[in-house]
Amino acid sequence: MNQKLQPEHIQQMLDNSLEQIGPSTLARLRHAREQALARHDAASPASGWAAKWHFDTPHYKFRYFAVATVFAAVLFSGMTYWQHVHEATEVDVAILTDELPIEVYVD
Amino acid sequence: MARTGFPGFVLGIALLLQAGLVSAAPLVAWAKLTPAQQEILRPVAAEWDTLPNKLQKNLLYAAKRYPALTPEEKQRFNVKLEKWSKLTPEQRKRAREKFQAFSKVPEAEREKVKQMVREQEAKKAETAAAASSVPPAAPSP
Repeated sequence: MNQKLQPEHIQQMLDNSLEQIGPSTLARLRHAREQALARHDAASPASGWAAKWHFDTPHYKFRYFAVATVFAAVLFSGMTYWQHVHEATEVDVAILTDELPIEVYVD
Repeated sequence: MARTGFPGFVLGIALLLQAGLVSAAPLVAWAKLTPAQQEILRPVAAEWDTLPNKLQKNLLYAAKRYPALTPEEKQRFNVKLEKWSKLTPEQRKRAREKFQAFSKVPEAEREKVKQMVREQEAKKAETAAAASSVPPAAPSP
């Protein structure tokens, strides 16, 4: 009696039970499932884009964090680049208006 | 695969945006510049359409700063612009580095260097003037 159930046994038993379910029971189950899904869709406004992009999964916080991190990294590198470009152009103007000729800085 | 969709999408958009900004704007044709920009950048008019994108952008920025320059600075800008545009990107990079390094030298030292350069320039001008005033040698019979 204390024989331990193996996963294969459980699967076998469930398959057997499934085969024994009558057509009327199956129809009722299908109807109940459809009703439950309809209620879920109506109650969950996030079932659109959030579901599509998986923001409704248990890991959505991590996803938000990852996306925010990527944005921050791209923004930071962009700002650093533009700061560098701005400095370079400022230096260009300074060289072009400097008293010393360009050759002094080139050679 | 689908689960990485949104972050991947966001990253893609962000990188595209950045790449767009970095490589930025196509070359600006000389004909597309405003009359004011053309007037300021006239020394490089002939080669403008062949200048690298980055240099064009730098010069357009310089043109924006031009009206605020002193007459003396404007004069220097006009004289140096063509030579500056003919340097290679590597030479311009080196020049910026040297300029920035020189800017950190104490004022007194900088003034000495400037004085030395002024003297050399004056000597060059004298030599050029003397050479142009010497009449050509009479042809030997």
